Amino acid sequence: MNRRRTLLAVVEVAAWWAALGALWLVFVTVVDPLELAVGAGVAGVAALAARGARRAVAGW
Amino acid sequence: MNGWILAATAVLGAGVGATVWGVATGPLRRRVVAQNLSTALACPALLLLAQGYDRPAYVDLALVLALLGPVGTLVFARLLAGELAGDPPRARALTRSAAGLGAGVVLALCVAVGPSRALLKLLVVGVLLVGGNLLASRALSGGMAGARRG
Repeated sequence: MNRRRTLLAVVEVAAWWAALGALWLVFVTVVDPLELAVGAGVAGVAALAARGARRAVAGW
Repeated sequence: MNGWILAATAVLGAGVGATVWGVATGPLRRRVVAQNLSTALACPALLLLAQGYDRPAYVDLALVLALLGPVGTLVFARLLAGELAGDPPRARALTRSAAGLGAGVVLALCVAVGPSRALLKLLVVGVLLVGGNLLASRALSGGMAGARRG
């Protein structure tokens, strides 16, 4: 994997992470530091899964 | 009892009641459409109940249903693709009515809630509800090539 592809992968995961983290913040009842920490963690895991799913469906 | 709960009762009784009847009787093409419509109608009813009881946390139930209802219909569309190919369901008016009801309920709730994070959540539920059911309905009527491969 060359530099450009690595950069693209990191940008994609970061974009998924930001979008899914925002979704988490919309869905929780109260926004507090614990929710922020948990949301950031699960959004990271979900971002990796989302990229994997996108690659499996799109094939690239 | 308030207006929201009254509206939820009407949707549950008339709408979901009718879909239960539709699922239990008639030919296959009618049953799958009724199955799809049952979640499309139960979800707005749950949203109305959440507002009626003033418990925003109950919206989560509607969110889960809006997400899993169309997924369930897609499973049926795939499993029954062979049977439905010869006699595809056509329920455009009913599907659009259910989508309109869902959109109307979400809009009314958005007005009642006012600008807040809860409004964003309602909009996400509304998009999932209307978009998911239109997509599932299209898959049932054979509009999606992927559903036929099963």
